[in-house]
Amino acid sequence: MHNRKRKTVKKTVSFSDDQNLTNANLNNHRKGHIDDDTPPVYVRKSWTLIPFHLLALLYWFLKYTDFNLLALLYIMIPTQVIYLIFRFNKNTIYGKKRLRLNWLLVFITLGACLLLSIPCLAIIVLFGAPFVELLKESWLLALHCCFLTYPAVYDVFNCNFKVGYFKKYFISVVIGCWISCFVIPLDWDRDWQAWPVPLIVGAYLGSFIGFSIGGYI
Amino acid sequence: MGRKLYYVLATLQLVAVFLFCGGFFPQKVVLKNDSKFIVNPEVQLASKPVFKKLVLVVIDALRSDFLFQKDSSDFEFLHGLLNSGEAWGYTAYSNPPTVTLPRLKGITTGSAPNFLDAILNVAEDDTSSNLKEQDSLLKQFHTHHYKMNFFGDDTWLKLFPLEFFSEYDGTNSFFVSDFEEVDFNVTRHVPYQMEHQKNWDVLILHYLGLDHIGHKGGSKSHFMPSKHREMDSVIKQIYEKIDGDTLMVVLGDHGMNDLGNHGGSSSGETSAALAFLSKRLKKYQSSDIQQSSNVPVEDAHPDYKYLKEVEQIDIVPTLSMLFNLPIPKNSMGVIIDELLQLLPSKLAAIKVQDNYLQLTKLKPGYEAQLEKKSAGTLLEEMREIQSSLAMAATNYNYTFLTYGTTLMIIGTLIVTVWNFQLSQEYIEHVGTSVLLGISMFASSFIEEEHQIWWWITISVLLLMQISNGKKLVVLSGLRLIRGWNNSGQKYIYDNVLHTLLKSHTSVLWWLNVVTFLSVGFPFLRNKDESEKMVSLLSVSFLALSSITYKICFAIVNGDKVPSGLYTFALRSCAMYLANENATESDISQCLVPIARIFFQICGVSIIILLFMKYALNKSTNMLNKLLSVIKFVLLLQTSSANIPLFLIFEILTSVTPDITPIFSLCLQNLTFFQFGGTNSIATVNLTNAYNGVSSNYNIYVVGVLMFLSNYAPSIYWALSLIPQSYKQKTLRLQHYYITGTCLMIACIALRYHLFIWSVFSPKLCYYAAWSLYNVVMDFAITLLGVL
Repeated sequence: MHNRKRKTVKKTVSFSDDQNLTNANLNNHRKGHIDDDTPPVYVRKSWTLIPFHLLALLYWFLKYTDFNLLALLYIMIPTQVIYLIFRFNKNTIYGKKRLRLNWLLVFITLGACLLLSIPCLAIIVLFGAPFVELLKESWLLALHCCFLTYPAVYDVFNCNFKVGYFKKYFISVVIGCWISCFVIPLDWDRDWQAWPVPLIVGAYLGSFIGFSIGGYI
Repeated sequence: MGRKLYYVLATLQLVAVFLFCGGFFPQKVVLKNDSKFIVNPEVQLASKPVFKKLVLVVIDALRSDFLFQKDSSDFEFLHGLLNSGEAWGYTAYSNPPTVTLPRLKGITTGSAPNFLDAILNVAEDDTSSNLKEQDSLLKQFHTHHYKMNFFGDDTWLKLFPLEFFSEYDGTNSFFVSDFEEVDFNVTRHVPYQMEHQKNWDVLILHYLGLDHIGHKGGSKSHFMPSKHREMDSVIKQIYEKIDGDTLMVVLGDHGMNDLGNHGGSSSGETSAALAFLSKRLKKYQSSDIQQSSNVPVEDAHPDYKYLKEVEQIDIVPTLSMLFNLPIPKNSMGVIIDELLQLLPSKLAAIKVQDNYLQLTKLKPGYEAQLEKKSAGTLLEEMREIQSSLAMAATNYNYTFLTYGTTLMIIGTLIVTVWNFQLSQEYIEHVGTSVLLGISMFASSFIEEEHQIWWWITISVLLLMQISNGKKLVVLSGLRLIRGWNNSGQKYIYDNVLHTLLKSHTSVLWWLNVVTFLSVGFPFLRNKDESEKMVSLLSVSFLALSSITYKICFAIVNGDKVPSGLYTFALRSCAMYLANENATESDISQCLVPIARIFFQICGVSIIILLFMKYALNKSTNMLNKLLSVIKFVLLLQTSSANIPLFLIFEILTSVTPDITPIFSLCLQNLTFFQFGGTNSIATVNLTNAYNGVSSNYNIYVVGVLMFLSNYAPSIYWALSLIPQSYKQKTLRLQHYYITGTCLMIACIALRYHLFIWSVFSPKLCYYAAWSLYNVVMDFAITLLGVL
């Protein structure tokens, strides 16, 4: 059943690496689970993937924390790990199989997200964030972005970096941030307009939408 | 077909814009004739004025904290008077536009300014801003046979007929870089005037130096303290010579923001200082706030509100009262409470009623009710009327507005239908225009337009079909451009490259030299030896003269330059003056001639290039060479700390040689803002508008130079697109049609908005200037037949 639907997916979205990986696997180290018609890795279409915890966190952040970015981050990381274990990993199909959770990789990925926040910070600054002033806030934003994509990072690691299928999860966070910028120039002088709160909201919403519909696109 | 339609549409746009502006910036309707006393005229006529003589000292851009705040004020003598009660201080709100001419109108007639005055402040030759016919404080003084002497900013002499003054000497406000002589020319008259007090009843002095320092180095410039002390000594000199029958008024016509600019409506710009000085004031009670505070005030107030707040125009009825004159007809001022004590209580009550009746006449349909109201309630009611009057708009010419907008809408429809195609390029264009169009309806988006352009530019860049490596280079270049200057009103960062380079002058100047050389690159590509000779000769002359001018300009303005370049400039000047021992002070004489030499070299180079092309048929890289000459002019018109930006531009153009029209459009606008421009009148840069212009200047030349210096980066990017098809040009035209239509609709819909004069009108002016340039350039290029 999945077979057919996967085919159509491959036609609409072209992530060049998919084909490369398929070919590479076919030619070099055939593992037995890969079939030419199936993408090597994909995420199932399922409502269970909708990351409601992100919305709840966002609501709590805006309503009760006085925009405490650090507190939000501390709570978001464990919920993301739980989401990966109970939701995302269970819906990710490698070849035709669901893989068991690799506990070591769960922790390695946490460290990797922490490190990835530095290149992410560079990108944020390059895209126009203030450089000298508010660098700490920008870094917090980078951390949030990285940990929002944590389940996708785990999967990228899990398939040896070779699959471009997970690009969309990163792109959704970037688009969320980029669109949310528009409230910054408004002269309403609200607390939530302070850097980088609007972008945090955008990133959460972007990743909420990305992870919800990721299987369908 | 395409060509003709393009020119028809371009002309139509220009006509529409100017029709709209004609309807949007009309002359204000003012009440004619001079006023007379209204309440009990016989009593008023019989009474004597409180003071016999008036000394009015206007210090341009004297912000309230310059007089009253401890860290930014050095007026020690005045502080003493304020603490002893011999001087009464106020923070006077000056209505935007906060530039000199409209403010002088406000101070003398008491009326709210007209936006057009702000523009005419620059185009000084215009006579329509004259106050000859209008009732003003000065006119009342004149008709009541007060003898007036005036020394200072010659704007006064343009505003008022010369027969008002028995003695006068005007100083020109236009050489912004001079702040010594301009004030000395006023002060040198003071001793004589003090010795011969019989020669005048009203003495007006207008000092410009402080404003010039602000424009040059901001409100915290290191020239400020010494200027404060100089002004303080002038006040002391006058105050010690005058007797108890003389009132002295010290005031700023407007304030300034921290960058030293003014014109807008930020609290720094609108908070001017005001102080009444007289030995007699000690006998009366000053305002409660002043009595309870010690001047200079220790704590800095973020909104510059020190001591009691009044409206600046309040001094008009107040002075009228003190000198027993009728209040000028169009005055919207309200008598300042405390000064009523100086009159006998009966007369004071009459004066308040007189002010009340005069003010209510300005508000049609308002029912004036004098009976049973105490002076206190009357004053209260007057202040309410005053604020409602300040809000009321001027009269728009709705016919012109409708015609202008209709023409724009028609043009927009034609151009969008004509261009319509389903391509990525077209969709990006329309998307950009619509986004910008929508933003025209929000004042904060207009103020922060650079953010929108940044957002669009990056989006367009990411969608562009070039390799990722190139994208990264362009993105880094753009990020540097973004980090160069502050723009907009909301976020001002301290660590921008502009300020950083200003403190690291050697880096800045070597970058500048490299920039000048890089702009001359097109001259290096030649076919044969003779062409090579001519090219190298002209490019070295161009580069040398422009660099020399920029260095000399920096030296004259007191900026630091590396010692190597300093000696170079000094030698060049010595050579020009044929004087071996030329010193720093001689450089200022060379400024105008060097700039003129540069412009002559530009002209000669262009003629040579054209001659080579048409007579000798040698035209390697002809277009780029011509553009390079124009780029030298743009560099000359840019402030020195912005020049390295052109180096980034050169790098960007070499990375993406075939720049797309949409990207060029983005860069034209983005770089305008990142050079420090905004959509506010306050950032119109005048420092480079007088390059090569001597004191008897031609207003049109200055206008063109001013335009060039403010739009230099936009012109650079517009030029980069010159070999373009009409299809591409119409895409640009379409952008300005769509945004223009939205702007006009926004201006009409929001014409009673609080920010109409401070945000929407300036935007309209910037828009009109840039569309005028675009159309003129198109016609010029076609006429020249360069292509």
